[in-house]
Amino acid sequence: MGALSIRNVKKSYGDTHILKGIDLEIDKGQFLILVGPSGCGKSTLLNMIAGLDDISSGEIAIADRVVNKLSPKDRDIAMVFQSYALYPNMSVKKNIAFGLEIRKVPKAEQEEIIARVAKTLQIEHLLDRKPSQLSGGQRQRVAMGRALARNPTLFLFDEPLSNLDAKLRVEMRTEIKLLHQRLGTTIVYVTHDQIEAMTLGDRIAVMKDGEVKQFGSPQEIYDTPANLYVAGFIGSPAMNFIPVQLGEEGGHAVVVLDNGSTPQSVRLGPISEAQRAFVGKQVILGVRPEQLTDPESAHSDRTNLQSLQATVAITEPTGPDTLVTVTLNGVKTVARCHPRAAGHPGQAVTLVLDPTKALLFDPASEKRLA
Amino acid sequence: MTAASQGAPGFSLSRFADTILPKLVIAPTVLACLIGFYAFIGWTAWLSFTESRLLPRYEWAGFVQYIELFGNDRWWTAMQNLAVFGGLFIFFGLLIGLVMAVLLDQKIRGEGAIRTIYLYPMALSFIVTGTAWKWILNPGLGVEKLLHDWGFTGVVFDWIINPDFAIYTVVIAGIWQSSGFVMALFLAGLRGVDDSIIKAAQMDGASLPTIYTRIIIPSLRPVFLSAFMILAHIAVKSFDLVMALTGGGPGFATDLPSIFMYQHGFTRGQLGLGAASAMMMLFTVAAVVMPFLYSELRRERRG
Amino acid sequence: MAELAYHQTTGAKVARYVIYAVLIAMVLFYLAPLFVMLSTSFKSLDEIRTGNLLSLPSSISFDAWRAAWSSACTGIECGGMAPYFSNSLKMMIPAVLISTLVGAFNGYILSMWRFKGSDTFFLLLLIGTFLPFQVIILPMAQVLGMLEIEDSTTRLILVHVIYGLQFTTLFFRNYYVTVPGELVSAARIDGAGFFRIFFKILLPISIPTIMVCLIWQTTQIWNDFLFGVIFSSGDGQPITVALNNLVNTSTGVKQYNVDMAAAIIAALPTLIVYAIGGKYFVRGLTAGAVKG
Ligand SMILES: Nc1ncnc2c1ncn2[C@@H]1O[C@H](COP(=O)(O)OP(=O)(O)OP(=O)(O)O)[C@@H](O)[C@H]1O
Ligand SMILES: [Mg+2]
Repeated sequence: MGALSIRNVKKSYGDTHILKGIDLEIDKGQFLILVGPSGCGKSTLLNMIAGLDDISSGEIAIADRVVNKLSPKDRDIAMVFQSYALYPNMSVKKNIAFGLEIRKVPKAEQEEIIARVAKTLQIEHLLDRKPSQLSGGQRQRVAMGRALARNPTLFLFDEPLSNLDAKLRVEMRTEIKLLHQRLGTTIVYVTHDQIEAMTLGDRIAVMKDGEVKQFGSPQEIYDTPANLYVAGFIGSPAMNFIPVQLGEEGGHAVVVLDNGSTPQSVRLGPISEAQRAFVGKQVILGVRPEQLTDPESAHSDRTNLQSLQATVAITEPTGPDTLVTVTLNGVKTVARCHPRAAGHPGQAVTLVLDPTKALLFDPASEKRLA
Repeated sequence: MTAASQGAPGFSLSRFADTILPKLVIAPTVLACLIGFYAFIGWTAWLSFTESRLLPRYEWAGFVQYIELFGNDRWWTAMQNLAVFGGLFIFFGLLIGLVMAVLLDQKIRGEGAIRTIYLYPMALSFIVTGTAWKWILNPGLGVEKLLHDWGFTGVVFDWIINPDFAIYTVVIAGIWQSSGFVMALFLAGLRGVDDSIIKAAQMDGASLPTIYTRIIIPSLRPVFLSAFMILAHIAVKSFDLVMALTGGGPGFATDLPSIFMYQHGFTRGQLGLGAASAMMMLFTVAAVVMPFLYSELRRERRG
Repeated sequence: MAELAYHQTTGAKVARYVIYAVLIAMVLFYLAPLFVMLSTSFKSLDEIRTGNLLSLPSSISFDAWRAAWSSACTGIECGGMAPYFSNSLKMMIPAVLISTLVGAFNGYILSMWRFKGSDTFFLLLLIGTFLPFQVIILPMAQVLGMLEIEDSTTRLILVHVIYGLQFTTLFFRNYYVTVPGELVSAARIDGAGFFRIFFKILLPISIPTIMVCLIWQTTQIWNDFLFGVIFSSGDGQPITVALNNLVNTSTGVKQYNVDMAAAIIAALPTLIVYAIGGKYFVRGLTAGAVKG
């Protein structure tokens, strides 16, 4: 039993099913990320955790207490909104104090809490201002201050950083992470930004069309995505998906990659039972760009790295690396190379592939062949 | 856990309040709306199918009142007057409103003050407007006397007591009161026209009148539509203005359906006939408003 | 529409003069009745007969004003406009306040607390703004009779509230749909309930809409004649009805100066409201334009 349990929660408006049976569970102090494309139901789920919206069926428990029928104020939660939702007619101080006043916290204690929160978020000099006199970043801080003041068992964040510019977003991201480490609070955080998801979360739920496609730690999601959707959604630049025919050779999976002129056989890791069933059939090879690189940049401690010849189509320098696009089995494939080893369009390059990281997917069910 | 979850520990009074309170607070308005509008329309409709006279009676009598109404010369006079008054009132209201808006849109000094003056009649009661114009149009002492004093001694200006012209005095007073408002609507529309379109047209060498007649005014279609709706609506309901200005006279020269309805329904003890005329007014408004409402609703749905 | 460049040719200059001439002529057209009313109200009856509409009074006389206020005959009563002025005030103030407050609540519910059927209800209310009142006054008269509400002021308050709600609700609903719903969500999580959210958070940011609503309702109710003439009686009538009675009483010598003074008295409150809150008045007109 954890800090938050979501059991088979469904939501529909008439005949449209927005959430199709969500199951999630996190422990106290964990940072849960709900990530997914726009319209997948993240906010809907968050609003149902908050009690702002009724659930159609299923059960939500906060700190082992079923809250289905509790109103938002009785759920012991606080929430930070995308638009910040600061009360426009109240000063920053009043904004923070509003929830405390309603809960009849004694005046002296209120002052104490406001002072503490203001100090934590460095907004002491803003306390007497109205929200309209604040910058976006400052509003964001005040919105967080309002949530922090209440010291609830569960924090809910709905895309709190999406209205900030890129630089401020990175700054605030770090601050939220620090805050979480320091206060040890339980957080549910909605975003559609997969970098935010990876950097902040202890646990990530990747959602699509009202379903959780995978629920796990950031590393699990990154290294062993459960399906093509998650594999493609997490990671930037996105994972390459190359159609291949699966073969077996000495207990290893083998695929053939054709650079347009020469087919080259590539030996992957030891073949699993699930993969063996697909021998001789079409599967999809998933390779992240950083697992396909020039021989020099490749980890030298890795054994049995697989070499490949290919022709450079485009190069895109990012600074530290250069993204090299080549064609393998007829699809554009991105490799992450050292700038010096990137070459020029039309040139031949040698790339190495880390066979232990390469993934195989069933093209029909889109599931990973574990 | 699952079994227990359905029971007492989850229940809360405030959650109950959240779902019930809004409905409770809006209930009186729902009631007022459903009864005050929709049930009352039904009631009026019912009355129109009875032989109610001084007191309401509720035995079904078929279309007798409508037959009587359609055979009633006064009703047709009123409808005819409404057509003349409505037509002129709407046409000149739109024309004057549009012309003034275009003229005011030429970076006029003192625009704010001028606009305020054009619009103030809208704050007046139609009764006050009627009273003022009744005096101005007074055949012995009003405009006619003024013209005589100015040397136009032969002029006769007795429209207000002349059955052939009295309806036009209602038009004049109505336009005096409402055209400033139409101007305000058009001016708001003009201010909303995209600058860059006009600049582009100027680059192409279009003259100012051309820009207005070919580009700007056609783009004000929605404003025309709503101004038309409003003026039509005012015209059909017109009651106070005529009551104060001419009392419907001379004779029935300025009689309108609203006056017909009032007199039969309230002063002449012809409830059934009054109800039938009220229903006809409703249909008249509906015929004008329906197309507009329909397009509005479709826009809401899409929006 | 900003810079429409004018080439300073003679033609353009002449056009400019013509524009100003037309605009000023229209200003005179709109002001003339007010001027005529004012100057007539300060004249004696003799002067009215000898002078003309535009002649100024030779000396300012307040006799007509005094008569209009306290002794002019409206039908059989001869107490001037004063009692009817106070009738109108007594009915207008509660009717305006009640309809505004209820409209604000309705707008709040129809935008922030939607429920099944609330959109349909809003539609029904919206359609109501298009209906000619003639179609409801007969049953309303019956119902008021059945309820045995005898007092004219009470009757008028009731009627004005019921048929004003469509507009006040419309004003507030249209404003509140522009307010982000997250504001209400945040307040609910902070522990505020239905009423606290309304009074502490939404109402304080609604001042302009409240102004529009108050001004709209004030002018509508003060200027109403139809409800006044039907639902009130005798010494309970509002000022518009009294003015109409005064002007259209056909006994004795017609006192045009008194008529004009009375008309100005009846117009004064809404003129003052227009002078003070013209901005909101225009906004209300365009927003509630459906009624006109
Ligand atoms: N009241 C409603 N009635 C019907 N459908 C709704 C309603 N509210 C939301 N939806 C639908 O539910 C789906 C999920 O909405 P939700 O706001 O949860 O998406 P989201 O994942 O938060 O997206 P975003 O990243 O854009 O915020 C959307 O397709 C939306 O259109
Ligand atoms: Mg969202």
